[in-house]
Amino acid sequence: MNFSFSEDQVLLRNSVRAALDEQCTPAHVRAMATDERGYGEALWHEMAKLGWLGLPFAEEQGGAGLGVVELCLVLEEMGRAAYPGPYFASVVLGGLGLQLGGSGAQKERWLPAIASGQARASAALLEETLDWDPASTTATATRSGDGWRLSGVKRFVPWAHAADVVLVPARAPEGLSLFLVDPRAAGVTLAPMVGIDLTTRWSEMRLDGAAVRGDALVGAPGAAGPVLEALLRRAAVCASAEMLGAARRCLDMSVGYVKVREQFGQLIGSFQAIRHRCAEMLLAVESSHSAVYYAAWALTAGAEDAAMAASVCKSYVSEAARQVCGDAIQVHGGIGFTWEYDLHLYFKRAKSLEPLYGDAVHHRELLIRGLTGA
Amino acid sequence: MDLNYTAEDVAFRKHVRTWLEQNMPRQIRNLDDRKAWHRKLYEAGYLGMGWPKEYGGQGARPMEQAIVADEMARAGAPAPTNGLGVGIVGPTIVVHGTDAQKRRYLRKILTAEEMWCQLYSEPNAGSDLAALRTAAEDKGDHFLVNGQKIWTSGGAIADWGLLLARTDPTVPKHKGISCFLMNMRQPGVDVRPLKQITGSSEFCEVFMTNARVEKENTIGRLGEGWGIAQTTLGYERGGRALARITTYASQYNQLLNAARRLKRNGRPILDDAVTRQKLGRIWADLEVERYGALRVLTQLERGEHPGASGSITKLSYSEFEKRFMELAEEILGPYGQLTDGVPAEFRLEVDTAIGDHGTWAYAFLWSRAGTIYAGSSEIQKNVIGERILGLPKETRADRVGGTR
Repeated sequence: MNFSFSEDQVLLRNSVRAALDEQCTPAHVRAMATDERGYGEALWHEMAKLGWLGLPFAEEQGGAGLGVVELCLVLEEMGRAAYPGPYFASVVLGGLGLQLGGSGAQKERWLPAIASGQARASAALLEETLDWDPASTTATATRSGDGWRLSGVKRFVPWAHAADVVLVPARAPEGLSLFLVDPRAAGVTLAPMVGIDLTTRWSEMRLDGAAVRGDALVGAPGAAGPVLEALLRRAAVCASAEMLGAARRCLDMSVGYVKVREQFGQLIGSFQAIRHRCAEMLLAVESSHSAVYYAAWALTAGAEDAAMAASVCKSYVSEAARQVCGDAIQVHGGIGFTWEYDLHLYFKRAKSLEPLYGDAVHHRELLIRGLTGA
Repeated sequence: MDLNYTAEDVAFRKHVRTWLEQNMPRQIRNLDDRKAWHRKLYEAGYLGMGWPKEYGGQGARPMEQAIVADEMARAGAPAPTNGLGVGIVGPTIVVHGTDAQKRRYLRKILTAEEMWCQLYSEPNAGSDLAALRTAAEDKGDHFLVNGQKIWTSGGAIADWGLLLARTDPTVPKHKGISCFLMNMRQPGVDVRPLKQITGSSEFCEVFMTNARVEKENTIGRLGEGWGIAQTTLGYERGGRALARITTYASQYNQLLNAARRLKRNGRPILDDAVTRQKLGRIWADLEVERYGALRVLTQLERGEHPGASGSITKLSYSEFEKRFMELAEEILGPYGQLTDGVPAEFRLEVDTAIGDHGTWAYAFLWSRAGTIYAGSSEIQKNVIGERILGLPKETRADRVGGTR
């Protein structure tokens, strides 16, 4: 039993942090907010070169063969830096989705391309009602010749405008199925959905009888449920890792600030009202760390309680990050409410992930079902 | 990172489980029964496991200690006695005591032949422990002790007490405190039980009037008492980390059963969406406590002392326990308040470190103590703020000047 990082894991984290500190500065984050694509190609290629884009894929697919723990280490740093770009969409949603459900040929086609940075992927997991239960999918898939035609509306699809392939759940006659869709194909329309988080891009994805080939079907028709559930669990934990990083950044900034800010002739960090709040923030951050890395380990190790751990993680971290990032604004006072100060970059990053891949309420219900069988 | 237990630890756990099945007493009726059980645990090597072998311990790894405590919680085994002796006084003597003190006192702590208490808090020195006023006056070959202590757990059954007293009132308050071993069985020591909100008396008040402490029973040097007390506070953490969670989980399952049976608006409370959310939150919190315990154990196994981060653990579980018990009360309604005449379905099957009190009412009331004893939540937050986050200290008048 050893709940600490290996030397390799610490090295990985340090190298990710060093690279992002240098290349993903707040100035870069702000510049990308007004960039048309929303992310920098130079950093993207750097990430490919450093092996981050293929981190969880098998070596024969150009990956590093690492697990969810390592992926979360990278994502925590990305949350900490408010990295703007399609890493999560491409590697976690698209990459892990293909890894979990794709055929040999599909993996061969896409995973090396994702790992090398040449292709970007995403997944369209939400519709109008925001129900995370895959069974709620209403988009349809009908057979058409050798292929399929897809219809329906997907919302909040991350980085779809930059993607070469999107995993799209749709209801076939056989039941819930999963398809690979080129978002630039005929019959597919993307419309930006602009949220408060400057580092994320969402699209509405409208499918009007969009035609896909027979080999775009991921797995057997009607068999997508378990793949989507497994993907959602991983996405929930990976999103929690990003929220953890954002929360830790907010805590660090707060602690730094209250050590230099004076009021009433004293450093405000000497006031118990401030100090106790900072202590509570640290407790929330450390507990989130435990929740993220326990769940990440459980998913990789195939532990018996992996599904429960994922729900513990997302329900806990969603609220802990909300609290910590909000408290950070509070201890900063007025400066924390300005656009010019960087705090809101991390506050909004955490906020944008809070409802995704199941919010706290969703995962708590899953926990009780798991505990009581009803 | 590997959160699986090693084959060695799994085998040890199995061994402990079997031993408990064969040796656990059916019932503890009185202190003699509990001492007998304590002795049995000691002889099996399950008590004071972390102590060095030369003083009767096992030199066991923290994980082995945690597994024994955890298996005892899992089996609902009665707690041993002399907890402060084994957990705090003994380790203090091991680290700070003289060879003579070690020979004289250590083994009898483990065998519970001599029971110990801790004489720290005073009516006007709670969170501000260093403000204590109990005085030990140097009389040549001995000290004369005068003053009052409070919140002395196990005081009524203690033979000896680990005492903090002021030996120099002319220096700043943290520097004038010394640490002693005091015989409780002497005319100058008057112990009175203190009745708590639970209706029970796990704690006592201790009045000392010209009580005598021999010179050779000084721990460390005069004026070093504060530093010694700081290190011993740390001994409390870690070993029971897993056991605590196992007890919570057992209580949680009993609460789920109650929520299946009780109804609201014609439906089982367990089907109520709001209650499910609250139960889900507590389960997540409980699991996060378990993960945190595994992190602490990892640190201990590597020989690292948790130090100030123990404050994070203590703050976390004590506040959690309060939230948990508030939810239990909410679900159980008036059943949760019964101290007697509790129907079997709503009894709480648990033996706590402080005795067998099988009611939710007792567990609920007792949860109010956790965020006060051994450093209140407010004090823990100060420690976290100052020692972990490095925040500036408050401007405090009491860091300069004497107490008189």
